[in-house]
Formats: sequence, structure tokens, C-alpha cells
Amino acid sequence: MSVLIDIILAILAIYLALQSLLAPRLSQSVFLFFAFGLALALAWIRLGAVDVAITEAAIAAGFLGALFLDALRDFSVSDTEKQENTKADQSLVSAKNTNSPWLPRLALGLGLGLFLLISLEAVWEIPSGGGLTELAEAMLPASGVEHPVTAVLLNYRAYDTWLEIGVILMGLLAIFAVGGRELYRKPVMAVQDPLLRQVILFFTPVLFLFGAFLLYVGKTGPGGAFQAAVLWGAIGILLHLGGWPVFAVIPRWLRQLLLTAGLGFFLLLGFLFIAGGNALFEYPPAYAGFLILIVETLAAISIAAALTAIFANLNQMKETPNETETTT
Amino acid sequence: METYQIYSLTSAVLFVIGIGGVFMARHFIKKIIATIIMGGGVFLSLVSFAARDALAFADPVPHALVITGIVVAVASAAFALALARRIYQLTGEESFTIDK
Repeated sequence: MSVLIDIILAILAIYLALQSLLAPRLSQSVFLFFAFGLALALAWIRLGAVDVAITEAAIAAGFLGALFLDALRDFSVSDTEKQENTKADQSLVSAKNTNSPWLPRLALGLGLGLFLLISLEAVWEIPSGGGLTELAEAMLPASGVEHPVTAVLLNYRAYDTWLEIGVILMGLLAIFAVGGRELYRKPVMAVQDPLLRQVILFFTPVLFLFGAFLLYVGKTGPGGAFQAAVLWGAIGILLHLGGWPVFAVIPRWLRQLLLTAGLGFFLLLGFLFIAGGNALFEYPPAYAGFLILIVETLAAISIAAALTAIFANLNQMKETPNETETTT
Repeated sequence: METYQIYSLTSAVLFVIGIGGVFMARHFIKKIIATIIMGGGVFLSLVSFAARDALAFADPVPHALVITGIVVAVASAAFALALARRIYQLTGEESFTIDK
């Protein structure tokens, strides 16, 4: 019976992935991608990876979906363009009967088929050998937390997590470089709908509380810094959409401090450990739990700030060229 | 058939769908979605092997790797989206055109 659920879920994920690439209209693609992310999240729950499921549903389906939806506003501006788009995509679907060169397509099809067989063989034949479960379990009492995934993320492999916070910051800087940083200073047009504004205001403390709960519960169960960060980032995004660009009105130094606090404190802690004679990110077991909670909180704040800034910056990309068009 | 085997086979299929999408899709957004689907395949294979090596709990190291990977994939996708929108604003192109 449970195998049946897994098979249905697997077929659903494959179908949604195919459809999101083959759908004739861009908006269909984006919504099918949403659904694909959620199907994948269900698959992860079936595999016992609840942390991954929360992260997937929140970041990969939620945050990225919001970015894609926002980008839709940009791409399908007028109906004629949309029709062209549809036509181009339909010709992609039924490419066989147009006059496109058939040899590259045949080669690509054969190559993909061969590659599918090879990768199926590879995942089927992968040698079963241990993994690191035993080691992770044995070291758990010294890690300062009770949940093994949090222990790996913030203690055993803290270096990876530190670099990851850096990657998000780099992504934000790259987006600033692409879009222009002064975009951020533009005042946002307030939403006219009073009901929407009230709903956003109502959800702000709820989301904050839920994020804080996820952050704290990460010590003993599924949850942690990234999941909390997305919820807090969602607060920033909702407030931005509701016409309160919180991140633009706070002073510049505070914004920079919020963005770099996680990365900076993590690094400072690492250097302090080295000064104390330990390795980088080698927590003393007595204080490990406390230090991990502080690191997680600051990391969550930084990631939330970075996600808000990424969304706000992409959200405001559309307005600038229109203005230049009208002025020139 | 074990649960993890179903999902590791699914992961291979998803990865190939993603690769096909990267080559075949024209629109920027579809190409970005295709890369995310490829990433989803890789993550699914990692997590399914973690479920195979489970003792008292599933192997936490692949889980942590996947959480890190998802966030990095999202950051790079956001950057790709920014580039795509910028290209559209500057040139009006919605895909890579070679025949012009």
C-alpha cells in the first residue's frame, strides 16, 4: 500500500516536471513549477527528510515561485508578445513537423535516452556502504543539539553553512550589480486595497512567531535557521508588496549590519575558536548548544534580510526602464 | 521494491527531463525552471540514499547537504532571473536567438 503512494507521487512529480517545461504558456509553466516543488516536498516527507521538505516548500516552491510570478509581470507585457510566445512554444512542442533541422533533434533525443538509461543504471547499482549515520549518531551528545540534521548543519559541517550564507549575500550583490543599486531607493506605490493591507498587518506577527518557533525547535526536531529565515523573509516581502518597504526606510548602516550579521558573527566565532586553540568552527561542547542558537538566530536574520532585498530589488526592476522611455 | 529505490529511479528521470529542458526550452524562465528540475533530481537521489543508510534516523549528512544545496540553487536562480529580466529590458529578447 505504501509503495503505491510512493509510485503515484513519483509519477506525479515526473508529470509535473514534464508539463512545466512543455506547457504552452509561461504562466502555466510557473504554476506547474509551484506544484512540482510541493510534490517534491511530499516525496521528501516520504523519505523521512522533514527538514528538507520544509526548506523545499518554503524556499524552492514559495520564494522562487514568488520571484517567477513577479518576473511574469515583466515578460508578458502585451498580448501580441504573449501570442508570439505561445506560438514559439507550440512550435517547440510540435517541432517534428516544422522545417527545423531534424538531425540535432534526433541526436539530442538519442543522447538523452542513452543518458537516462545510464543514470537509471547508476542509481540502481550504487554500492550500498555505510554512510555516515553511525558517526553522526555517536557524536550527537557532544554537538550541543539533539537533532542530527541541525548538528550536521551547524556543528560538523558548519564551514559549509557559513559559506552558504556567503553565497546568498553574493547572489544579492550580483543582483544589485545587474539591476542597479539605486533602484532600491525608489518609493513603492502603496496598494490600494485596504483589506489586503490589513491582512498583511495581521499576518506579520503570526509569521514572526512561527519563524521563531521553527528556529528554536531546530534544536530538537525538524526546523532551524533556513526554515525560519524564509518565514521572516516572507514578512519582509509581504510588507514590501503591501506598500511598506521596511528595508528601504531603515538607515543604510543598519541594513548592511542586518545583511552581514550572520556571516560576520560566524567568522568571528571561528577566529575566536582558533585563538582558543581549537580548529575553525570547533565548538567547546559545554557551550555548543548556546552558541549554535545565537549563530542560528543571526544567520536567520541575515538570510531573511537578503531574501527580502533580493525580492524587492527584482520587484522594482520593471519600473526604471519605463520611466526612461517616457522621459526620452 | 523499497521506497528509496522508487525515488532514486525518479531522480534519474527528473535529472534527464531537466537536461532536456535546458537544451530544448527557448524562453529564459523555462530554461531556469529546467535547471531547478535538474537540481531537484540530484537532491532526490541524495536523500533517497540517505533513506537507504538509515539506522535510528536517516543519514543526516546528505540531508544537510541538500538543504544547503536548495538555498544555493535558489540564490543562483534568482541571479539568473535578474540577468534574464535585464536582458529583456535592454534588448526585448525573451530567448537566446541565433538566427538574427
